[in-house]
Amino acid sequence: MAVISTAGAVYDRGYRPYDGPRGGRRTATFALYRASIRRALGLRRSWRQKVAPFVLLAIVTVPAIVNVGIAYITRDQIGRRIQFITYRDYVGVSSALLVFVALVAPDIICPDRRQRVLPLLFARPLTGVDYVIAKVGALFSVLFLFSFLPQVVLFVGQALVSDSALDYTLDNLDVVWQVPVSVALLAVFYAVVGIAIASLASRRIVAGASFIGLFLVSSITAGILVGGDEGERVVGSAAALISVLRLPLYLRDLVFLGEIDPLSPLNGVPNGGAAAVLAYVCVLGLGIAVLLGRYRWTER
Amino acid sequence: MSSVVPLLRIDALTKRYGSVTALESLTVEVPEGRVGVVGANGAGKTTLFRILLGLARPTEGSVYVSGVNVAHDPIAVRSRLGYMPEHECLPLDQTAADVVATFGELSGLPVRAARQRASDVLDLVGLDEARFRPIGGFSTGMRQRAKLAQALVGDPRLVLLDEPTAGLDPAGREEMLALVARLGTFGISVLMSTHLLDDVQRVCDYVVMIDGGRLVVSGPTDALLERTGVVTVDVGDDGAAEKLVARIGANGMHAETADGLVQVTVSNDEDLDRIRDAVVDMGLPLYRLGSRLTSLDEVFFERAVR
Repeated sequence: MAVISTAGAVYDRGYRPYDGPRGGRRTATFALYRASIRRALGLRRSWRQKVAPFVLLAIVTVPAIVNVGIAYITRDQIGRRIQFITYRDYVGVSSALLVFVALVAPDIICPDRRQRVLPLLFARPLTGVDYVIAKVGALFSVLFLFSFLPQVVLFVGQALVSDSALDYTLDNLDVVWQVPVSVALLAVFYAVVGIAIASLASRRIVAGASFIGLFLVSSITAGILVGGDEGERVVGSAAALISVLRLPLYLRDLVFLGEIDPLSPLNGVPNGGAAAVLAYVCVLGLGIAVLLGRYRWTER
Repeated sequence: MSSVVPLLRIDALTKRYGSVTALESLTVEVPEGRVGVVGANGAGKTTLFRILLGLARPTEGSVYVSGVNVAHDPIAVRSRLGYMPEHECLPLDQTAADVVATFGELSGLPVRAARQRASDVLDLVGLDEARFRPIGGFSTGMRQRAKLAQALVGDPRLVLLDEPTAGLDPAGREEMLALVARLGTFGISVLMSTHLLDDVQRVCDYVVMIDGGRLVVSGPTDALLERTGVVTVDVGDDGAAEKLVARIGANGMHAETADGLVQVTVSNDEDLDRIRDAVVDMGLPLYRLGSRLTSLDEVFFERAVR
């Protein structure tokens, strides 16, 4: 008969070496990328950290749902279907996206510096460039997802409430590449600028306020210099390029319209489109230079 | 010339920050095992660690870890290295399990393996019960253990411990030293930087002493702890010790008490017999009789001054 002991026992399981597969820089970069996405979305963190991303997703999706709902209600009224938002308008019009970047970019960068995690990260097979790629890539992915998903909702919804989903899709085939390209241009711009500004501050609140401040101040300054009311303007000014807020929207217009929007403050400026692309690339390049300089110390 | 590749080979290493010289012409070879890097604050220990990790470039000279030149291939070196800094360095709003698993992935482990190993090493350092708690709520001792866990999760060949007992209470210090001592039995080499010579004396097989960026002395710990020609006798209490000192002095030998122990200068084995006989004749208990060794403190001060 078996004897059952009532006494507990503590087992020292010792140490088990790991002899499985082991990745290098790419694995480490991807691991940091995934950890940063989890942080941006508040995953494996308290419920408070999940509020901002999912409230944002709800806010940016509401216009698509409302638009599809109205299209459904008015589906039988031939010639009177109401569509209050276009795919082009839907790229980057929500200021909630800006607020989201101001909240999340500092959150995935500042604690690494403030809590002195960087030496631990760079004691791994990871370089400064890898770090920048992982952090910018994570914010880009979240921004792309949050900007692209509502467009998918809008497209699928419109197709389903149309008389023929196939005809709707064929009629709007351009949108299939225009939307992801323009959303990507917007997301990479916000991600690089947001992370670059956050890398210069150790406190999240300072980084977030600086990001919002840059977009607001540059936009107001451009508005004052260009003058006139938007929507009525016939001839714009190159001073409109000062607005960091509008730079990705000019590129969006180039993607959708092939030219600068006639109602934009850049309308009528010679080579306005090329100038917008150049300004966009310069800001992006400056942001990347700041980031690479900021994390260069690891190879000094 | 030995065919065994040393764990660490440092050739004429110099590191200058502007006009400040942190390390100067440091040359040393270190075997595998538990190695203590000792020196006062500002001696250059942390700079040496930064160079080993490839986070700082030498001004002159070179460093090889397991035969790999750190300056040429820092990624290869870091992929099998664990690092536990002296300062606070862990994200406070995440659980120990998440943090250690993430660092496992950053060391190149697949996701599942990283989570499994995180669980194992947290168990090893005694944080199995607390692994799902945020690190911000940990005590200093628990944070030190979590730091050690993240250094071990990638199964490193070499782990760099920068002042691992700093800020710990006596019990926490004992536990940390016991953990460090165990690492050697797991096949993990340890490079432990500290200014506490007693810590090194207790857990390290090999010692590298630096002062002002220069090498003071290096060698196996046992070889550095020379015999002093003084015998320590423990007969239980101060009163008995005083009586024994008087008796030995009457026999023509030099004896004195120190911290309740009797210290006798001996010149041959017959002197040891005379001490034993004196203890027996007086009916005193003999708890210990042995040669007093130099401490690493004495070695350090003697060599540093020289």
